[in-house]
Amino acid sequence: MAAASHSAAPAPEQSAAFLSVEGLKKHFGGVRALDGVSFSLEKGEIHALVGENGAGKSTLIKILSGVFPFDAGRILLAGESYQPANPHEAKEIGVQVVHQEFNLLDHLSIAENISIEKMPRTRFGLLDKQEMNRRAREALDAIGLTDIDVKAPVSSLGIAHRQLVEISRALQFKSRILILDEPTATLTERETKRLFDIVASIKADGVTVVFVSHHLEEVFAICDRVTVFRNGKTIATDQIVDTTPEGVVQKMVGRDLAASSRNEEAPRSPGNIALRVESLCTAANPKDRGVSFDLRYGEIVGIAGLVGSGRTEILRGLFGVDPIRSGQIFQDTRDVRFSGPRDAIAAGIGFVTEDRKDEGLILDMPIAANISLANMQAISRSGLLQFSAENRRSRERGSKLKLKYGKLSDPVASLSGGNQQKVVLAKWLARNPKVLLLDEPTRGVDVGAKAEIYTILKELARQGVALLVVSSEMPELITLADRILVLAEHEIQGELQRPEFSEENILKLAYGQTAMAGEQNQ
Amino acid sequence: MTTQTMTEPVQKTSRFSVRSVLQNAGIGLALLALILFFSVFTEHFLTPNNITNILTQITINLVLAVGMTFVILIGGIDLSVGSVMAFAAVVAGKAITLPGFGPAEAIALAIVAATLTGVACGMFNGVVSAYWSLPSFIITLGMLNIARGAALHVSDAQTIYSFPYAFEEFGSAMVYGIPVVFLVALFLVFVAWFVLNFTVFGRLLYGIGNNEEAVRLAGHSVFWYKVAAFTICGLTAGIAAIVYMARLNISSPIAGIGFELNAIAAVIIGGTSLAGGRGSVIGTLLGAFIIGVLANGLILIGLSDFMRQMITGIVIIIAVVLDYYRAKYAAK
Repeated sequence: MAAASHSAAPAPEQSAAFLSVEGLKKHFGGVRALDGVSFSLEKGEIHALVGENGAGKSTLIKILSGVFPFDAGRILLAGESYQPANPHEAKEIGVQVVHQEFNLLDHLSIAENISIEKMPRTRFGLLDKQEMNRRAREALDAIGLTDIDVKAPVSSLGIAHRQLVEISRALQFKSRILILDEPTATLTERETKRLFDIVASIKADGVTVVFVSHHLEEVFAICDRVTVFRNGKTIATDQIVDTTPEGVVQKMVGRDLAASSRNEEAPRSPGNIALRVESLCTAANPKDRGVSFDLRYGEIVGIAGLVGSGRTEILRGLFGVDPIRSGQIFQDTRDVRFSGPRDAIAAGIGFVTEDRKDEGLILDMPIAANISLANMQAISRSGLLQFSAENRRSRERGSKLKLKYGKLSDPVASLSGGNQQKVVLAKWLARNPKVLLLDEPTRGVDVGAKAEIYTILKELARQGVALLVVSSEMPELITLADRILVLAEHEIQGELQRPEFSEENILKLAYGQTAMAGEQNQ
Repeated sequence: MTTQTMTEPVQKTSRFSVRSVLQNAGIGLALLALILFFSVFTEHFLTPNNITNILTQITINLVLAVGMTFVILIGGIDLSVGSVMAFAAVVAGKAITLPGFGPAEAIALAIVAATLTGVACGMFNGVVSAYWSLPSFIITLGMLNIARGAALHVSDAQTIYSFPYAFEEFGSAMVYGIPVVFLVALFLVFVAWFVLNFTVFGRLLYGIGNNEEAVRLAGHSVFWYKVAAFTICGLTAGIAAIVYMARLNISSPIAGIGFELNAIAAVIIGGTSLAGGRGSVIGTLLGAFIIGVLANGLILIGLSDFMRQMITGIVIIIAVVLDYYRAKYAAK
């Protein structure tokens, strides 16, 4: 079972391979999250894990920190089998994780947060506040936060300081391995620098640091080695000194893949401009430079970018879900600003949201009811539901999209992911939208249904619908889009035309290596 | 489990799905079992007189529970209905005893006053909780106090008497041994059932209870639907006030204390999920019957009122635990 591991047998070289992971596999239902992950950590090194969204880094971290068990393979820590049953056990053994999402309790004090896992007690079993504050002070001092009052509530801290408090919480225990999951995502440059100093001093103490980051320049700034993930597998581990950012990007993409999934069809001929977006700044955008682009009828424009680069926010802003800070939207040359989804829908726009379960579907309600949800006037007369009309329309919609279901009255929850997604599409297509915004249109959808959804979307474009597709899956954008806008940190880093489509080009722009990409748009 | 077939879908509409029928059937069976039990173990349970009694006793709770069903279906709760009922009754009592009106006019005035009071209170609950997205639990807890205080204030803490004779007659009228006020409640159940199952409004209430965000993103004004649900609940509190006045011939500012809890119990026992989105007003009807039959039967059997209260509490808990399993199996 174990694939070729990068490290040799653990016993003789124990000092070198502190932790070794061999042929690790993990399935979630039919999805292979990890499909043969092998790599090793040396004692006292800083080791980077890189890869696209969904390549398996987060799953690996969760396994290492005891959140999930694994299906196959083995993990050796200091020569002994390591298989933590729960996060607590992992911590006891000395594997600490600083998660990407904060796990702090806002209304409690910094000291309480730092001690939350192990509250000190007095002889009488009461909370020993003095000891708690002393420990917190010590933990903060250790990472150089001497100016912060440990009694202050966490809610009074900025995001960067919260991150540092998390780190200090992880560090107060005897750490053997410290895993930092995207620690710099929310930090400014100066704070990042400070974090790096802290990481360097932790390393000097002999702690092994695992560093997960989307920012290759950071990886190259502080790491000793880098392991590349792709599709749930580890592709290679390299010494930082022996490789380059371009080399790493190439490995993340896989050269073969980039060539094969090129869009081979004849280019569509887009019509007039459906939406023109000028300097659009959403509320979530921390900067003042917005995004500007055109979307034409009969065209599919892709938006690529890493998670958190502001892709979803653009769609939500356009649809009137989230407030817009500044900028203009022109629909058919008219200046518009939708105050809510209702206005956007009335103007002929549809929005297939990223999260079907939370935003797209009413899972416990029947398929037919979900299909009619955005188009109630078509299936009712003076407020009364016309069930026969609803069923007829739903049936027609369903067969057009090759929806596979038992009865229209079955709850949507009974369908497979792909068919659920088709119901979401059917809901919007029931309105014959002029513009369709799609956020991760095939997430959690099996390969067959994926291809069907692509066919549907291409057919819509041929019929003149303007489609704006956000996706984390680059092959998807390469297959679907006429143009791809690549976002990084809420700005369009570049626009790729079809001949320039490749995962490599997208990734370069997404990782902010603008100079290497072709034409720059903004 | 999730294998789909391409069978030509032939279906009745969603509303009459096997699941919802079974759900109500379960509650119906429980009610039947209770009736059977009391019929066997007491002499007087299944007598026309006693049946009339039960119907009379459950009427007010049923009226309140119908409105409560709307609020709970959208994932809210209304703790104020008992107080609002008292407030509406006092306002209507003031109206009906105004000098210078004939009996018919006075009664009409009272009905209008009670319903308007209820509607106003309900609308206030809805607007405040929906606009600021605040938990309705807290807002209606506030309204519970406001309405009770208002009832005491308006009435000077005095019970209001001497209503027109026709009003009293309506309160005690029977058709084939069935109290007319119960028929009024039954009619409300029917209207609510129709609205919830056959109108866009009803469909969207279920939708909001299940997934508010999806309904909002589909372009519907969730705010107004929520306000409407609370307003309906207020309206039924107003109607309950009229029933109460007609039955007892008084308007007391301390009427209806704790009624909200009975109404909520009827809805929950009836299988409507406190989380919203799932349930039916037919269930509520059965739930109100279960509470009423229990109350009546347990006393006939010779248990004290205290014991009755304990057993009602146990039934509520059993209903919720059963609902947990029902939801679990439904999710599979």
